[in-house]
Amino acid sequence: MTMATAVRPPKVKEKRSARRDLMTPEGVILPVELAGRGGRAGAFLIDLVIWLGSVIGIYLGIDFGFKHGADDVVLEIAEFIVFIIRQSYFIFFEIVWQGRTPGKRLLGLRVVDRRGGPLLPASVIVRNLARDLELFLPLRFLVVDLIFWSPWWAVLNGACLLGFLLLPFFNRGRLRLGDFVAGTMVIKVRPVKLAQDLIEAQQQFRFSDKQLRAYGAFELQVLEDALRRSPSSDTEALYRDVAAVICRRIDFPSAVAAKDAERFLRDFYAAQRGFLEREQLFGKPRLDKHHAG
Amino acid sequence: MSEGIKSVAFRKGREASWQTLEALIRRIERRGMRSLKADELQSLPLLYRSTLSALSVARAIALDRALVLYLENLSLRAFLVVYGPRLGLVAGLCQYFVRDFPAAVRAARWHVLLAFLTTFAGIIAGFLLVQADPSWFHTLVPGGLAEGRGPNSTRESLLNDEIFGHSATSFRQAIVFFANFLFQHNTTVGLLQFSLGIVGGVPTLLLLLYQGLTLGAFIEIHTARGLTVEFLGWLSIHGVTEITAITLCGAGGLYIADAFLFPGLYSRAENLRLKGRRAGEIMIGAMIMFFIAALLEGGLRQWVASTPGRYTIGGLTALAWLLYFVRSGRAAP
Repeated sequence: MTMATAVRPPKVKEKRSARRDLMTPEGVILPVELAGRGGRAGAFLIDLVIWLGSVIGIYLGIDFGFKHGADDVVLEIAEFIVFIIRQSYFIFFEIVWQGRTPGKRLLGLRVVDRRGGPLLPASVIVRNLARDLELFLPLRFLVVDLIFWSPWWAVLNGACLLGFLLLPFFNRGRLRLGDFVAGTMVIKVRPVKLAQDLIEAQQQFRFSDKQLRAYGAFELQVLEDALRRSPSSDTEALYRDVAAVICRRIDFPSAVAAKDAERFLRDFYAAQRGFLEREQLFGKPRLDKHHAG
Repeated sequence: MSEGIKSVAFRKGREASWQTLEALIRRIERRGMRSLKADELQSLPLLYRSTLSALSVARAIALDRALVLYLENLSLRAFLVVYGPRLGLVAGLCQYFVRDFPAAVRAARWHVLLAFLTTFAGIIAGFLLVQADPSWFHTLVPGGLAEGRGPNSTRESLLNDEIFGHSATSFRQAIVFFANFLFQHNTTVGLLQFSLGIVGGVPTLLLLLYQGLTLGAFIEIHTARGLTVEFLGWLSIHGVTEITAITLCGAGGLYIADAFLFPGLYSRAENLRLKGRRAGEIMIGAMIMFFIAALLEGGLRQWVASTPGRYTIGGLTALAWLLYFVRSGRAAP
């Protein structure tokens, strides 16, 4: 086990499948959260609505603008613009807004390079051209099949369409075909606020090194999660129970009053973290309570 | 006692610079890079690097999970901004046309050759089929594309209505209507060729062959009436650009298929990732060539009504494209 993995905080309550690591050019590994399939479908639907809405808007605008029936040439130019919007909506936004379309932006999603490199315009173009093959082409053929050909062709085409749509469910990166070809993936980026440090200036309870040796980094972080809970009667009961368990384990000499339970836990957290960080700095990281030494 | 804990002192000392970076990133995420003043822009990479190194230090010395999670998140957001697409749209386009597009075409030269040979084989086959039995024409050419031309057309009707015809009533209408229809038709076919490359390349070759068959059939009905020279002149004015673009779309599809079928040293996914971008660069260039071809066809062809003039323009465009693809961007690193 290398030092780097030894000191990474143990992960509590995280689905492994939803995480990937990106390596920055500086060589630092950043964990990223993959976008959910539902979120991606939602973002696509939002984009679809915006895009269809703008097309309808253009035609309505022309209809109002030319009261006596629009000039043929104007209509033709409008059709050209609509065609351009159709082909370039996703590409334009993903290049200009750094991997985000309006729908993705609303839902906090972002297209990134799978290897942590810069997102190139060519990748954006490829992943969006592939959508034609994945979605619009089979859909169009499906309609044609049902009208002109036998239903068996429609079944075949439907299976094709279904295969493309279900592809993100059958690979670890939740990639669709376009992502495979372009070397991209879609991640979710939510801003995280910096929480208050739990260690306060003054401590009331004191602990010996022997007592602090009872637990490791894993238990420390469980305690951290508990201390960050919002206050309620449940939380208070939890604090009393946890304080009692810790007292038993470390043979704390004096009993802790019920009203001092949180104070006790905070002080224990501070002492424990100080101790474990010191040990870690001296090359003796303690991962959890089963750790030898 | 808390002063003795290194991670607490570490956090106190650096928190302010993290907050500064966070504020900058939030502004960029909302309003883009332009919302930053010059000095703020200058401080961005410095703040990013120092936050990234703070993350490494925190991972090594701090057991404060909230702190590590915060720094990971902030580093990621800053990373996405700092290493996002750096070129503006205009600079990006310039770099694309001068360097990336011709380089991508050169990288796919064997695929271009294969696509071209397939189209050419289609032309020959189409020509021979219609020569043997003129009724093949209607099988090979869809009604919309034929526009009433076919085995029953006379020499005069082809000469007057098509080659030197003025189907549109005005220059403005010609360029808008005709160019628009052709552009959309060609782009759709080109996209299809590219997409079909992803499913193995054989459909791409079939589609190229089919396009060749159609063209061959057209050439035959003109040759049979002694109009080969006039027809090729009529075709060359835009055809050089258009057929090159169709060939490039096919080559893009074949390039993808190649990456997928014969991954070589890399894994399939990795090879697709490497070559997919190249293919995408070819595709976008081909779309723009379709646009140019449509303008030439809709406008210039109506305007230049002499066969030598048309050959001159066709030859010049051929020379221009050849020089562009062979020479452009070679000097750049």
